[in-house]
Formats: sequence, structure tokens, C-alpha cells
Amino acid sequence: MSTSTTDLTHGHDDDAVKVPLLERIPGRGSAAAWPLGLAGVLILVGGTFLSWSYTSDVLGDLSVDFYPNGVQICMIALGVAALLFLLAHRGPLHRFGEWLDTAAAVRVLGLGAVAYMVITLGIIAYQSGGLVNINPGGWISLLGALLLAASGLMLVSRQHRDPLFAKTSSWLEISTIVVLMALVLFGAAYALDIGDGGSFLLFLLFVSAVALALTRAGAFTWVGLIAQKNRPVLMLGAFAVAFLFPFTQGGSDENMSIATQVLIFAATALGLNIVVGLAGLLDLGYIAFLGAGAYVGAVLSASAFATIDWKPPFIVVVLVGALFSAMLGLIIGSPTLRVSGDYLAIVTLAFGEIFRFTMGNLDGSNGPDITNGPNGIPAIPDLAIGSFDFGQPHTIAGITLGRFANYYFLLLLIAAIIILVFTRLNNSRIGRGWVAIREDEKAAEAMGVNVFGLKLFAFAGGAFLAGMAGTVKAHHDVSVTPDQYIFLESAFLLAAIVLGGMGTVAGVIVGATILKLLPEKLRFIADYRLLIFGLVLVLMMRFRPEGLIASHRRKLEFHEDDEELAQRIEAVHLEETEVKA
Amino acid sequence: MTLTDTPPARVPTAVGKPILEARGVTMRFGGLTAVKDVDMTVNEGEIVGLIGPNGAGKTTFFNCLTGLYKPTEGQVTLSGDVLPPKPRAVVVAGMARTFQNIRLFANMTALENVMVGRYCRTSSMALTSILRGPKFRREEEATRARAQELLDFVGLGGSTESLARNMPYGDQRRLEIARALATDPKLILLDEPTAGMNPQETKQASDLIFRIRDSGLAVVVIEHDMRFIFNLCDRVLCLVRGEVLVEGTPGEVQSDPRVIEAYIGGGDDDDEDEGPATTKETL
Amino acid sequence: MTDFLQQIVNGLTIGSLYALIAVGYTVVYGIVQLINFAHGEVFMIGAFGALATWTVLFKGQTGLWVLPVMVLGAVLVSVLTAVVMERIAYRPLRGAPRLAPLITAIGISVFLQEAVRLFYPGAKSKLVFPEIDVVTGTALSIGGLSIQRAAVFTVGALVLSAALLWYFVNRTRLGQGMQAVSQDPDTAQLMGINVNRIIVIAFAVGAALAALAGVAQGLLNSNIDFRMGFLAGLKAFTAAVLGGIGNIQGAVVGGLTLGIAESMATQFIPGQFGGSAWKDVWAFVLLILVLVFRPQGLLGARVVDRA
Repeated sequence: MSTSTTDLTHGHDDDAVKVPLLERIPGRGSAAAWPLGLAGVLILVGGTFLSWSYTSDVLGDLSVDFYPNGVQICMIALGVAALLFLLAHRGPLHRFGEWLDTAAAVRVLGLGAVAYMVITLGIIAYQSGGLVNINPGGWISLLGALLLAASGLMLVSRQHRDPLFAKTSSWLEISTIVVLMALVLFGAAYALDIGDGGSFLLFLLFVSAVALALTRAGAFTWVGLIAQKNRPVLMLGAFAVAFLFPFTQGGSDENMSIATQVLIFAATALGLNIVVGLAGLLDLGYIAFLGAGAYVGAVLSASAFATIDWKPPFIVVVLVGALFSAMLGLIIGSPTLRVSGDYLAIVTLAFGEIFRFTMGNLDGSNGPDITNGPNGIPAIPDLAIGSFDFGQPHTIAGITLGRFANYYFLLLLIAAIIILVFTRLNNSRIGRGWVAIREDEKAAEAMGVNVFGLKLFAFAGGAFLAGMAGTVKAHHDVSVTPDQYIFLESAFLLAAIVLGGMGTVAGVIVGATILKLLPEKLRFIADYRLLIFGLVLVLMMRFRPEGLIASHRRKLEFHEDDEELAQRIEAVHLEETEVKA
Repeated sequence: MTLTDTPPARVPTAVGKPILEARGVTMRFGGLTAVKDVDMTVNEGEIVGLIGPNGAGKTTFFNCLTGLYKPTEGQVTLSGDVLPPKPRAVVVAGMARTFQNIRLFANMTALENVMVGRYCRTSSMALTSILRGPKFRREEEATRARAQELLDFVGLGGSTESLARNMPYGDQRRLEIARALATDPKLILLDEPTAGMNPQETKQASDLIFRIRDSGLAVVVIEHDMRFIFNLCDRVLCLVRGEVLVEGTPGEVQSDPRVIEAYIGGGDDDDEDEGPATTKETL
Repeated sequence: MTDFLQQIVNGLTIGSLYALIAVGYTVVYGIVQLINFAHGEVFMIGAFGALATWTVLFKGQTGLWVLPVMVLGAVLVSVLTAVVMERIAYRPLRGAPRLAPLITAIGISVFLQEAVRLFYPGAKSKLVFPEIDVVTGTALSIGGLSIQRAAVFTVGALVLSAALLWYFVNRTRLGQGMQAVSQDPDTAQLMGINVNRIIVIAFAVGAALAALAGVAQGLLNSNIDFRMGFLAGLKAFTAAVLGGIGNIQGAVVGGLTLGIAESMATQFIPGQFGGSAWKDVWAFVLLILVLVFRPQGLLGARVVDRA
């Protein structure tokens, strides 16, 4: 282990640059690295059982000995993760060390822990007036984190096999999926419960550090493969998690309100992802289609301000809203989709504005009275499907589910429909046609692909789905006004896709969650959120255009010159085809 | 136009009735006439070559045939039906093409590329695709099977799941042919199928073209490599400055002094992939 | 008749504004086939640059001599913004799929708007633009027509810039280099033209005209707002498409046409759908109609298909 001959074989893109730097670290490869890491974990975790702060009002309460709170428990969890990787490096789990880049994982975890501790101690010092208010426990954990980081930097990877080719039993795979799902559920519930911005930020840092460590170790290569192999289990698991989520909230409407907002946003973004991610069309007026659905939902509702006297059952309203949106999509799409793709972006943008102006003008004085103009349509009653009133709390298995939980389940159903449409279309004749169009429009046309028809279908189909979600949104929001559907909302949706990953379902859900949750939880950045989103769009396009959770194809498209990446993705694809067969 | 002089080896298995007829095709870009009054007939089961120095308008003529350009004058009929100048309609009517500079869907696998070629011969629409009914499954299965069959036919049966962009150059050319064949054409147009190939690959290409012909298709080939084209074709058209200079059997065209003049200085033996460069000097 | 002429005057005024901004879209599109969506914000930043120059250097003064310095300040800020964004955001994306620069452009646009809103003192609400002697104040009255003084400035700015631009593009080496790059960047590069430099210049030229438009807008409306770039940018793009994108004369013609069409719609569309509440809607409807019936624009797009 102390020789560097075992250090080899990773095709990771940035390691090529980093290795020389790492090589120069004093003590690299020395036998002391591993015990140092163990000691680091012990000290890090040990410190969490002691008080970190003198005052009790910072980041929850960090002042009690032998009673770690959430912020400290994150460090315990991180310590445990680091311990597992260390034991895989050398010790009882060493079998795994051949498959995983344990050194990189320990390195990331160590550095993450240092960052975490520095920020935590910084917040304590800042909020309680000075470094004196940091108790020994905090310093001890920081020391542990530093030792862990040092160990990680000194360790040399033993990995010499590609986790892509790991043959694993299906019980291990399925239990891994179950454990991951449970962690996601638990993590989401926990994150929503965090009250203060500081703790939330730290939790985010902790999650990112662990995720990055697993990525660097190569664990996600394997997870991705088993996810492909056990797709039905995964989908079922994901929906089970999403379905169970309200039951973890003990009837708290506050968190469920955020959760439903995330879900509306995610469902809409998923619809947009069909247009942008699959068909490759940049639709900058997508929010208007959501708005069109919402207005249909509003004017056909039982609101005293509704202007149309037809009150059909809700399922009809949903269909009318969706079809109305789709029709608008056809009207806008059919002229523009024939000309260059760039025009579409601007025309959809203009359409978004037309929509907003029109909704603001149809107030009786500038046009027929349909929308009540800028005041919108307020007092939209809660949905009632059959005898189920969405406004009333219901009790299931002793757990009370409030108004938002009711909407949550309905939205979950809509999201499920959109996901189904998304994945099935993606994996069909139509999906192949879209890819071909994205790749080379002229060649696609010359090979008999109906380029215009497929584009129009994506565009109008996306509008249809948004209209569907809009009708529910109207009832959820209680009122519909033009200023809910401004361009920035479209940009916001686009940001979710770009951040999460064009053309992937998981990516968009992650992106939507991050973008909605962050401003909710980090009130101090609320005013800067659009500034940050703008920046996110620019930086993502520059550095990771395929998004956090990338689809293989998109990754290839955005890295046309990267031969190594293409080879790697082909290898992954071959392996996936094999395990699925 | 006589075929009587053709050596027996080149006699097509069965020369049937005309399948493609181009009449008086003229293409002007502003003041420039790139193609002028070109007539071409291709019969069933025939391999027709289109030669000519660089800039003679071969590819422009191809683009007129396949609907990429709308000819200024003239018309093109396939099996008696006038072709509209729309690439997709042309494919649906039964004429497919390859491109001079390979235009594969680089980030799709070989199989997927060929499956895209099946697009216009399959019909699963949105609802079927979403609901995954038996019809969808059957059609998807058939598409896959046909694509695999075509990959085997062009000799790429082993590279089914390779990304197109990772494939060697020669394989990419063959993949493009498989993709075009997937549209079930009656006639296939190959734009410089051997550009950039070594002699062995060129040999394989001409074998492949013979096999395509033997499967009942008519073939039109644009090529610079004279030796390749004279060994391959039943009939050759030589295009110079947008006009048909000579039309006839390879033997006739080869010995025609005007053709030799048009190609002067350009060795017709050794210009595997630098045909354009050598002919350019003569223009 | 007076109504008609009055609307022509109004249309020419607003049209000149659109034309000044539209040139920026068209020049950049002609050269790199990029819809620089953030160009509207460059216009907005120009207006704020002028205001900042005035606030810092001349607060309280109204002399006409202040105006050139304000314009200079506006141009400097706008050009700097445009050049920096080209360098750090767009240049690395050349050769990337078309979606990437478009998304970047939206990101920049949102970022710039928010940056001004958050960091320019008082910009969260409308800011008063200074009154300048001669170019603001009581409207001129000629033969029953009322002509805003700032309108004269706006139209004059357009005429002057159009003349300078024509000279630059057709009579200078750089301008000819620009034409060469827009025809065929690869060959231009081979011929020794520094393509990167030409692209930066295209951005800078567009930004300078947008800055001028920003000042004009401030004088016309006597207040400015961090949101003003969005709609103006969209209108200017419409103008560029209307005239034929990539075509500089087209941008001018398109801008004026759009301005007049808008004014006429306000005046002459009868009933509830006329009036200023709908004029933006009609402008965009015009954009869609142009794309349906004449996608190459009035004077023809000058974009080479490089597929």
C-alpha cells in the first residue's frame, strides 16, 4: 500500500490534473495515513458529544454535553461514512477497496468536514460575539476533521477494478436502493424541519460532501448501473417515498405547503423538460401555459369572481385547461417551429408577454371581461372530487393530513403522469426522432423523420401537461393573477432543468427541489435569489451544461470533443444493455 | 444509350423499367447556374455512376433529386410519380441517400441510428407509445430486428451498441448506408461512399454496393475514384460545369476524349481520396 | 390627418429607439448567429450609466454640455458590460450546442437586471432621469403637431449613428473584416482576420448604440427602471427580425416600421382592442406574422446557412 504502483487506472477527467499536485503532498503514501484517519474519525465524533457553543441560541442548541443536536449528528454521520471508507481501504471491508477509490472518498469527506466545522464555528463566533464562545467540543471536532482531511490527502488509492463491472447479488442491489430511498425520505423530512438558515446550509454542505465522496469513490457508477437494472423497484420506491412523505409531517401544514409548491414546480419543470430536454426546443414562455391552465381552472371554478357560468366537474376542467393550453401551443408553435430554432426562444418569450398583457387587459374596459384584469380571480374554492373535500383535513391511520397534503397527493398523481409520459416517450420511436433532430436536423429530415411534426408535438404536448398542472394550481393558490406568470418564472423553471439535468427525471426533481427549497429555508438570500439563479444558469452552461444528474446523451452532446468521455459512456451503455438483458 | 458493349461481368442481373427519371433539372443560385438541364434515368436493378471534376455540380444535382434544393426548372419522378422538393416526402416515396461528409447522429448508437431510419416506415404515435400496448411492443420489436438485420447486412453486426462517434471512419460510412437502407428505399443515392477509404475498404464498399443491387435496389453513386466507379457501374454520367458531358457504359465514358480532357492531369488511378484536390488544378 | 401625422411622429420616435437597440442584435447575430438575449439589459445599463455619470459629476446641473459626457459615461458602461459578457460567458461556448449560449444569455439577462436592482442605490423603484436644457422640456409645436424635444434627440441620434455605422462597415478595414467574418468565419480566419477581435467589436458597437438608446429613453420618459431592458429588448429583436436579421439597414427599417405600426395600432384599431393597453400585444403579433409570411424579413436576412 505504501508503494505507488497500486495507484492507477482512473479515467476520471480531473484526476489527470490533480494527481501531480497530490503526489507532492508530504507523507503521501506513508503508513501513518490510515491510523491518522481513524484517529481523525474518533476525535471528530468524540467532539460532537461535547458542547460546541457557550451560548445555547446558535444553530439550535449546541451547548449541551453528551446530547448532540442535528448539526452535530451530521458530523457523526460523516464520521461513520469516513470510517466505512477507511475500513474498506484497509481492514475488515478491504474487499471493497479494490473497487472503490477509498482515498478520494476519505479526502472529500475530510475536506468537507473541515469546511463544515469552520463554517459552524464561524457562525457560533459571529452570532454569539467572539471565538471565546466556542467550547472545547467544537475545537476537538475541528481537529478531528483536519486529521481526517490530512489522512485523505496522504492515502493512496488501492482501486484497480472498475465498479462498472462489479457483479453483485440482487438482494444487495435492492437493499441498497431501499436504504438510499429511506435516506432520501428521512433527509427530505429532516431538511424541511430545519428552522434556521445556518443549520440548513450546513445540512446541505453535509449532503453535498457525502454525495461528492460517493461520486469520487465511484460508488455512483455502480448505483447507476443497478438503478438501470432494477428500474421498476426504483420507480416504485421513489413513489413510495413521495407518497409516504406527508405521513412524516404529523399534520404540519407549513412544511406540506412548501412540499406542494415544490411539487407544482417540479411537475411543471418536468413538462418543460420534455420540450427542452427531449425535443431540444427552448421554450421561454412555458409559464404562460401553466397560467392558461390556471385561468381556465379559475374561470370555470365556483369562485364568486369567475366570469363564465359553466361549472363542469373538475376532471372536465382539467381536460379543458390542458386542451386550451395545447391549442395555444399549436398557435404559437406552428409558425415558429418552421423557422430557425433560435426564433422559437424569442417568440415564446413574446408569447409569454402577450399572455400576461392579455390577461391583464381582459377586464371589461380594455376588452371583454374574462379575467378581471390585474386583480385576477380571487377566492377560488378548494377542490372537491366526489365527497372528498380538499380543504378539510382527513385522518388516515391516525395521522392527520391537512389541506396541503390533500393537494400534495393530487399533484403527485399529476407528476406521476408527466413522468410516465416523459420516460415512455423518451424511449420510443418519437423519442428517437427527437434525439435525431437534436443531433442533426437536416439529416433527420433526409432520413424521413417528421421534424416539424415532432417539434410541434413536443411543444403542444408540453403545453398540454402544463395546462393540466395549472388547473390544480389555481385551486391550490386560491387566486390567479397575471403577475404570477411573469417571464422570470419561466427562467426559474429553466434554471431547475439546467441545474438538475436536461432530459432526466431525477435531475429535474433535484433541481426543482433545490431551487424552491433554498429560498424558503435561506430567508437571508431571498432578495438575491434571482441574482443567484441568473448566475447559476451562466455557470452551469460554462462548467457543467449537462446538469447535476446528467443524461448520457446530453453529456455527450455538450462535450463533443471529449473522446475519453465517449468511450467511457459507451462502456457504461454496453454494461447496462448487458445487465438488462 | 446502349448497354450492348458492356462486358458480361457487368451485365446487371435484371435491368427493369425506369425507376428514377430526372428531366431538364436546372439549379440556379442567383446568377450562377450550378446544374443545367440535366437528364438522368435510372432503371430498376441498375448501378449508375455520376462523375465529374470538383465543382461540376454533382452534389447539387443530388440535392435537387432528394428534395434538399428545389430545382429552378425540371422535374424528378420516382416510379412515375413526381417528387415534391421535400426531403421527407422523397424518403417516403422510396429514395434514400447518404452524405458526402458523414452526417450520422453521432451520439446515438449504431442500432439507434438505423432505427431512426425506420421512422417513416413505422407509425406508433404518442398515445400508443405512452400506453405501451401490444401494437407498440410488436412494432418496436420489429424495428429493432430489422435494424439489427441491416447492421448485419452491412457488416456491422458486432458494433450494434457502439456510439456512432466512436466508430472507425469506414464503419461510419457503412452505418450511414444501413441507415438509408432502413427507410426501405427503391433507390439509394450514395455521395462519395469511398471518400477517405483505403483500397481494402474501397473493395468492401463495392462488394456492399453489389449486394445492395442484388437485393433489388437501384443505386446511384457519386465518386471521384474513377477505377472504383468503372468497375462498379452499369452506366456512367460525366457532369462538367453543371451539364452532362457524356453518358454511356464505363467503357465508353472511360475512352471518351472529352472526359479525359476534363480530368487532365488528374490521374484516375491513384486519387483515392485526393480526387478533388487533383481535379481542382485542372479547372 | 393631424392624428395620422402625430402618430407618424410618435412612431418614428419610438421606432428610432427600437432601431438603435436592434442594430446590436443584428450585428452580433450576423457574425456569431447568437441571439444576445441580454442586449436589452445592455441598453438598460446604458441608461443607468448615464444617470450615474450625471449623479456623480454634475448633480443639479442642466446645461446641454453635460449631455455628451453622460452619453460617454453610458457608452463606457454598456460597452464594458457587453465586452465582459462576451469574453467570460459567450466565448467559451462557441461550438457548443445552440441551447447553451441561449440559456447563458437568459442567465446574464436575469443577473444584470438583478444586479442593478440590488446594487444601484435606489434602483428598486423607478429613478428620475435628469432634465437637460434644449433636449427636454416643453414640446415643440410644428403645424399642429406636438414633438417632444427628446424625440428630436432620439431621431437625430439614430441618423448620426446610422451614418457612422455605414461608414464604419463599408469604408474601414475593421468594418470590412466584420463583413468577411459574417460571410465565412473560417475563411476569414485563414485570411488573417482576428475573428475574436471582430466579435468583440460587434458586441461593442451594438452596446454603444444601445447606450445611446438608453440615454434617449431616459430623456423621453424622464425616468428609468431596472426592468426597462426586457420589453425594449424584445421589441428591438422583433424589429431586427422584421427588417431581416443580420442586416444592418434592415434593423433600422425594421425599428422604424415597428414603431410606426405600434403607434398606428394605438390610434386606429377601433374598439376595445385598440388603445395603448394592447400595443405591445400587437407588436408581438406582428413578430409572429412576419415569421409566418416573411421569415427573412423586409430587407432579407443576411445569414449564411452554415449547416
